[in-house]
Amino acid sequence: MNRIITKYKRELVVGIATIAMAAVFTVMNPTFLTWRNFLTILQQMVLNGILAVGMMFTIITGGIDLSIGCTFAITGISVAYCCVNGVNPFLAILLGLVIGVILGAFNGFLITKMKLQPFIATLGTMSLYRGIAYVVTGGRPVTSVPDSFRNIFNGKIVFDIRYYIIVMIVVFIIAYILLAKTRTGAYLYAVGGNEEAAKLSGVNVIKAKYIAYIVCGVCAAVAGLVMLASLGSAEPTAGTGYETNAIAAAAIGGTRMAGGKGTALGTFFGALLLAVLKVGMVVINVDSFWQYIFTGLIIIVASYFEFIQEDIAGLMARKKAK
Amino acid sequence: MGKAVEFIKINKRFPGAHVLKDISFSVEEGEVHALLGENGAGKSTLLNILHGVYTEYEGTVRLHDKEVRFKNVNDAIVNGKISKVHQETLVVKDLTVGQNVTLGYEPKKGGFVDFAKMDRDVNEILAKLHCKFKSEDMVSTLTSGGMQMLAIARALYHHSDIISLDEPTASLTMKETEALFNVIRDLKKAGVTVLYVSHHLEEIFQICDRATILRDGEFIETLNVKDTNREGLIHSMVGRSVAAVASRLKPSPMTSEVVLKVDRLCGGKNFQDVSFELHKGEILGFFGLVGAGRTEVMRTIFGADKKTGGEVCLNGRKVSGHWNTTKALKAGIGLVPEDRKTQGFLSLSSNTDNVSISSLEKYMTGVFVDEKKKEKNAEHFFEEMDVHPRRIDYLTKNMSGGNQQKVILARWMSTDVDIIIFDEPTKGVDVAAKAEIYRLMEEMVEQGKSLIVVSSELPEVMGISDRIIIMCEGHVNGELKRGADYDEDAILNLAIGGN
Repeated sequence: MNRIITKYKRELVVGIATIAMAAVFTVMNPTFLTWRNFLTILQQMVLNGILAVGMMFTIITGGIDLSIGCTFAITGISVAYCCVNGVNPFLAILLGLVIGVILGAFNGFLITKMKLQPFIATLGTMSLYRGIAYVVTGGRPVTSVPDSFRNIFNGKIVFDIRYYIIVMIVVFIIAYILLAKTRTGAYLYAVGGNEEAAKLSGVNVIKAKYIAYIVCGVCAAVAGLVMLASLGSAEPTAGTGYETNAIAAAAIGGTRMAGGKGTALGTFFGALLLAVLKVGMVVINVDSFWQYIFTGLIIIVASYFEFIQEDIAGLMARKKAK
Repeated sequence: MGKAVEFIKINKRFPGAHVLKDISFSVEEGEVHALLGENGAGKSTLLNILHGVYTEYEGTVRLHDKEVRFKNVNDAIVNGKISKVHQETLVVKDLTVGQNVTLGYEPKKGGFVDFAKMDRDVNEILAKLHCKFKSEDMVSTLTSGGMQMLAIARALYHHSDIISLDEPTASLTMKETEALFNVIRDLKKAGVTVLYVSHHLEEIFQICDRATILRDGEFIETLNVKDTNREGLIHSMVGRSVAAVASRLKPSPMTSEVVLKVDRLCGGKNFQDVSFELHKGEILGFFGLVGAGRTEVMRTIFGADKKTGGEVCLNGRKVSGHWNTTKALKAGIGLVPEDRKTQGFLSLSSNTDNVSISSLEKYMTGVFVDEKKKEKNAEHFFEEMDVHPRRIDYLTKNMSGGNQQKVILARWMSTDVDIIIFDEPTKGVDVAAKAEIYRLMEEMVEQGKSLIVVSSELPEVMGISDRIIIMCEGHVNGELKRGADYDEDAILNLAIGGN
């Protein structure tokens, strides 16, 4: 038990903070604690949650992917075109995922083979991918996507739960398994923790990084599909600025910005916390300008926690080592 | 002469741990005083107290018969006239030497830095230290020996009359070490007191007047260096007798089977036309001065760097195509790198994870890695290698140097590799752990593995290897067989380019 607590301390802290925050909102406005509102929170976190999972993978390897919002847009547009033109919706979904793989792999190529800094490489592809989205659409949205596609994600199962919430949960579970239970996960952490040491341990650093950026691209594509399904249209401007929210969710969840640390559970709570905050502030009628200020403060406080925690952990370890 | 430093009943506690226990001793003015002890004996903690890094402790520190209690490191440097030269010198590489020496205390003229005065002052100090570089040079152009001198220059810039050197020779060539010793002798003549920490006991006898020995946070004794010998010091440090020098206790199981053949291997500017063979069951030593290209050769064989020419054959089969460390591992080669911190262990990972990272395929249950199997494997090696503390869940970065090295050894022993390359395997490792590492090497060759040991410590290479290849400036300059061939002068001569 103790071991589990030490291992998932960060996740517990963020989880408790989220619950505490929800409690405060409930006291201020009891309607916060309703099934409807709970669903609203989950729906609010879906896109950011899925994007944050991918972002977490790149950050764990010591990188970052600023281009996810653009991959998101390209996927939405391409799949929308296909669906509008009568392509089988499942085939269209497959195509969307392939686009995610390709765009992610291109980021991986720039970072591993061309040896570009991840920040710069994806800053470049951010503009590049966005440009492709504009050129392909001529700047116009693609509308009237048929329900045959939309219902795959947007349909309701029971108690008004939509399929895309299940999709998000599946994404988190896959991420958890990949990171915590497989060799690939161990290699990703090793690369982020100390790239040179990982290389000299026989870890295929290049492969590990490719995997991280491809996973990130696929997550962005999945998010793009969900977005398309819930709106029924795709725009080349979609997803602008989404990368910052994804980074925030991963960071709040304890993903180490320098790489080597981060869990699916933590990122889940990070995204949940942001969603609770957002919905909560609407419920208690906080002015939307002030919402930015509170969100910013929460991110800063959460990151500061990371510092204190490392200090305490270091002290404890030293104490034990003596 | 008076007392430069006097420690009176120093106690230091970290939460739950008593790391310094009633330490009392004194250092005379103008002497070179060695501070000895194994990793974790409390040397660094004591120095950190002396230099104002740790401000909370019990007891009294007196400098020149005046009680001091520094607020921080800068307080110690500026007001206490006491400086520390770090093991890994802390420098800003993109600034000039002068800027680094004066960092934070630059001479000023009307609010701006007076660069002319800075260079004048610093060059004067550098001349005293017989340095070839100038204040105007960029730090990035210096060798590690140069950086060590820079740190001493910084101490002199602040008119320090007490200087601590923490493992100053760890990354120096022999020439640089000799130059450093001359500087220390000059400083001593000028009345400067030097505190000297090193694992190289030969150095203690070359340069130090007296030595204080700590063990497990306790003061053991202070003695005159000329009244003792190597064995005496080691006994005092470890608390028991340990074989101090590398030696083979068992007969060599070397066979004539060639497991690795390197043919005219080239690696850009670093080394050219390196050829040699490694036999099954052999320990092959690689000696040379720092910068001879040994590390680069090994990294290339292991796939960490790209070759620019030549061939590598493993068990008779030519290595072809794109070669990387993952393939090397699969083909049966492992490498224990020189710098544990930056190349060896994964700093965020536990001992278990550090041991298992190269052999994860062995701990699978279905497609998933089984934590239990990983832990069992780590526990097995911790027991066998006598790792302290015996905690597989600790972060490797919090272990002492020798035990970190054992963790890396365990990593490779967990794999099926049968060729292991050791790059400076006992650098920064204490005596007891050294003996243990030599024992493990012998065990490995007995199991049919073949080892390459790159080392800059002559007694180590001579003691452990069946054969020594000597490199000089990127070329193989000689090969000696164990026995009559082993002669210190001959080896050194080959290493500096003679024949």
